[in-house]
Amino acid sequence: MTDPRILWAQVARAAVNWKLIAPLLIAVEALNWLAPASTSTMLTEIAILALFAASLNLLMSFGHMVSFGHAAYFGLGAYGFTLAVVRAGLPPEAALLAGPMVAALGGLIFGALCVRLTEIYFAMLTLACAQITYTVLFQWYDFTGGDTGITGFMTPRLGLSEAGYASFALWTVVLAVLALWVIVKSPLGLMIRAVGQDRARAEALGLGARKVQLTAFVIAAFFAGIAGTLYAVLHGSAFPDYAGLSLTLDGLIMVVLGGLNSFAGGIWGAVIYQLLSTFVPKVIHEWELVLGFVLLGICLAMPHGFVGLLKRLGLGRKGGK
Amino acid sequence: MDPILSARHIRKSYGAFVALRDISLDIPRGERHALIGPNGAGKSTFIACVAGQLSGVEGQMLFKDENVTALQPAALARRGIGRTFQISRAFLQMSVLENMMAAHVIASGRWASLSRAIYAERAERACAMLDTVGLADRARDRVADLSLGDRKRLEFGMALVGEPDLLLLDEPTAGMSIKERHALMEMVAARVDAEGRTLIFVEHDIDVVMKIAQRVTVMVRGAVLAAGTPAEIKANDEVQAVYLGGGH
Ligand SMILES: Nc1ncnc2c1ncn2[C@@H]1O[C@H](COP(=O)(O)OP(=O)(O)OP(=O)(O)O)[C@@H](O)[C@H]1O
Ligand SMILES: [Mg+2]
Repeated sequence: MTDPRILWAQVARAAVNWKLIAPLLIAVEALNWLAPASTSTMLTEIAILALFAASLNLLMSFGHMVSFGHAAYFGLGAYGFTLAVVRAGLPPEAALLAGPMVAALGGLIFGALCVRLTEIYFAMLTLACAQITYTVLFQWYDFTGGDTGITGFMTPRLGLSEAGYASFALWTVVLAVLALWVIVKSPLGLMIRAVGQDRARAEALGLGARKVQLTAFVIAAFFAGIAGTLYAVLHGSAFPDYAGLSLTLDGLIMVVLGGLNSFAGGIWGAVIYQLLSTFVPKVIHEWELVLGFVLLGICLAMPHGFVGLLKRLGLGRKGGK
Repeated sequence: MDPILSARHIRKSYGAFVALRDISLDIPRGERHALIGPNGAGKSTFIACVAGQLSGVEGQMLFKDENVTALQPAALARRGIGRTFQISRAFLQMSVLENMMAAHVIASGRWASLSRAIYAERAERACAMLDTVGLADRARDRVADLSLGDRKRLEFGMALVGEPDLLLLDEPTAGMSIKERHALMEMVAARVDAEGRTLIFVEHDIDVVMKIAQRVTVMVRGAVLAAGTPAEIKANDEVQAVYLGGGH
């Protein structure tokens, strides 16, 4: 019989596939410093959205909790940071922490409400919470600046060059994604998966399913908040649209595009989606049409998305990145 | 004899349909108790009531002298009620060993832990339990790829991890051959006795019931028809008429 610990290591597959990831990261960094500034900004946005999609993917692929309001926590991150600078007078460097904290707090309050229900009712509650967030950001002129948002309150990118900030964002995202990986592979991650796969089974074994779901929700909100903060710093501004339905939908599309039920799905999905949305409109005016057909193709022919395709080609060995 | 479980006047309806009408049942500590009855008698419904999985249950449920009527499933599990399901439920997209490890994490109460220490601590026990239920060589396989019988075994092993004082098994041998049925239930009985647990099991194979149970309750259409030792039940004319003679 195999040694139990070795067997467990084989089953749990928690090692990070650095052989694949390290060269990729180095290549991205090289591109960042060699290419023009606009490329650096594009890379920054891709990295930010990859983190956003990865945080949503924690809920969707592992918790089987479909959120129709994940942008709320991206928006809360952006506004948490911005308001900490504008209203509380913190220096931007110090306010960086405020964004994720505010997002996590929002996740705690809204999440406590949402996890009372399951399935489509859970999804509807997340949508309702996100719409409330959006409306408050949009209407509360005295505090949030309303629909005109908040701009010109800081030097964009903390005064860094495009490439410098891209580098900062990239490595922040890498660390955040690693943290998500550690969470997924931890006992907590196993519990999130257990509740997602069979709630009644988990409860019958003595697990408080709601507590687990709420914890997952807060974690996902926190990481979406990091993404939102990075985005607000990139542009030196915050707008209600950061918490809007269209970003939520983008996130859902990224996760499906990249491949449900895999850790790397959200990340690959964000990369592909951002590349498509950057380059396709230059060739074809109706880019949504192209997107529609790509999604149709994915849902019908490749239910495991891009990661599934990699696996079929014998590439993406594990759930590496 | 001091009962570990005492069900008093349990009633449960699904809409207008009354699935359980006034069930009262005392289960002494350490007993192996079989719940039998034709399809639709309410056996699974009763098990779900004991495990706290149904809402709108009338009556009173006492477990270890505590009124547990309104408690949630997780709270009941932590108090010592473990169960398996008729249609086996395990974490389908996980491997067999991950399922067992999940049961260990839950039993340890360290559900929010980010440290993988517990994996190293419990790997040996998780594998030993797989060995006990005859799944040692399936550790790597996804539960979704297991036969129904093997899923039942896995579920039983997972329920044991929580060291329940009262174990509820809903048709633990469904999907197994006659030989496997007897082997599994003999193992269950030996284990339950050795560890001082109480067992309630639902079983359609009357030979298994006669061999394993110390006492039997016969349910028909949501009510208790008879209760007694296997020999008494076998000799009961009413039971013969509605159940044992009825093609089973
Ligand atoms: N969720 C439900 N909604 C409506 N009716 C239900 C539900 N669950 C069970 N029933 C009905 O309640 C009755 C009792 O069901 P139960 O599953 O408890 O029977 P059982 O004795 O376990 O039968 P079997 O031997 O087939 O497992 C059946 O008539 C069944 O159709
Ligand atoms: Mg049943």
